[in-house]
Amino acid sequence: MKSRYKTTLIALLLIITSAFVARAQDSRIQLGSLDHLAAKASQTVDVNVDERLMKLAARLFSDKDDDEREIKKLIAGLKGIYVKSFEFETEGQFVATDLEPIRTQLRGAGWTKMVNVRSKKEGNVEVYLQFAGEMVNGLAVLHTDDKELTVVNIVGPVDLDKLAQLEGQMGIPDLGIESSKTKKKTNEQ
Amino acid sequence: MRTIATKIFITLFVVCFTSAPAVYAKGDDFNSVVKMIEEFYRVKHVGIPFLAKAGMKVATTAARIKGGTARRLAEAGSIKLAVFENQEFNGDFRKFRSSLNQALNVTWMPLIQTLSAAGEEQTYIFLRNDGDKTKVLVITIDERDATVVQVNLSQKNLALLLKDPEGTGKAITEEATLIDQE
Repeated sequence: MKSRYKTTLIALLLIITSAFVARAQDSRIQLGSLDHLAAKASQTVDVNVDERLMKLAARLFSDKDDDEREIKKLIAGLKGIYVKSFEFETEGQFVATDLEPIRTQLRGAGWTKMVNVRSKKEGNVEVYLQFAGEMVNGLAVLHTDDKELTVVNIVGPVDLDKLAQLEGQMGIPDLGIESSKTKKKTNEQ
Repeated sequence: MRTIATKIFITLFVVCFTSAPAVYAKGDDFNSVVKMIEEFYRVKHVGIPFLAKAGMKVATTAARIKGGTARRLAEAGSIKLAVFENQEFNGDFRKFRSSLNQALNVTWMPLIQTLSAAGEEQTYIFLRNDGDKTKVLVITIDERDATVVQVNLSQKNLALLLKDPEGTGKAITEEATLIDQE
């Protein structure tokens, strides 16, 4: 009887552990910690294009339409696009600690901050890529300005060229990313 | 012992692998959302027959609901519309958003949600696959008015919605409610 009980517990632990490991390797960033800022914001935008919608989009975009054909190529293989954006009337409505839960996730496994990424937008733009070996698994962009905060998370094989081309499409804001010659920075921030 | 272990296993399994919300919309989600707005904000929607009596927006709205020719986005006969006019929408928009998402997330996919000026204007767009059709639910709430629109979109218009969720979502609501200028 005891051994059955033990077996059940071990099986249970294995299942729980595997669930957490799967979640840890996922390049989806949990953005819910920012939700409280909506109360102070003059404008909040929350975009969720999950895997089901990505598949639907890939099926719907026509090969006959130049624009749609281009987007179809860009989103091939992507598993999700998630955006949270806040605009504020006045400065100082968010502080560094508001972003800490996001940064904590970006310090996690596989995430690397890219340096030399330029943006035409004012403020500070940080770009992170999640690598699995040489492959890119996901991308995150943090844009902060005195009165603006935007987080973009793209799950799946994506690079900065793709991001630059997807700006303004499928709910991705115009971040003014200039994609050429980015470099990795070791992930010690 | 076995019973206890099994119970613990099932409980933990459910906690770990399901996120079914306590509240969810059953049956007709359109009506559930309308009821939810009524209960949360203590307002009443105006039915189309009432709009007809009041002489408001009726010609085009009713024509479109019956499948009028002016429709550009929604498939013929697919529009469900509820209008709330000139009432107070006072309430914590975060609580409302949370309740709405909890109610719809089981069967609908949230696409875009926008809030402006501390919740005075809220827009929610959800999608749902229904066989070979895709239903779109657009909910807009501002200080004194609200609309709930549910339509079926053709594949072409669905692609438009996915390309430009905010713009196309607004167009769906406008198409369902505004007086046709053509």
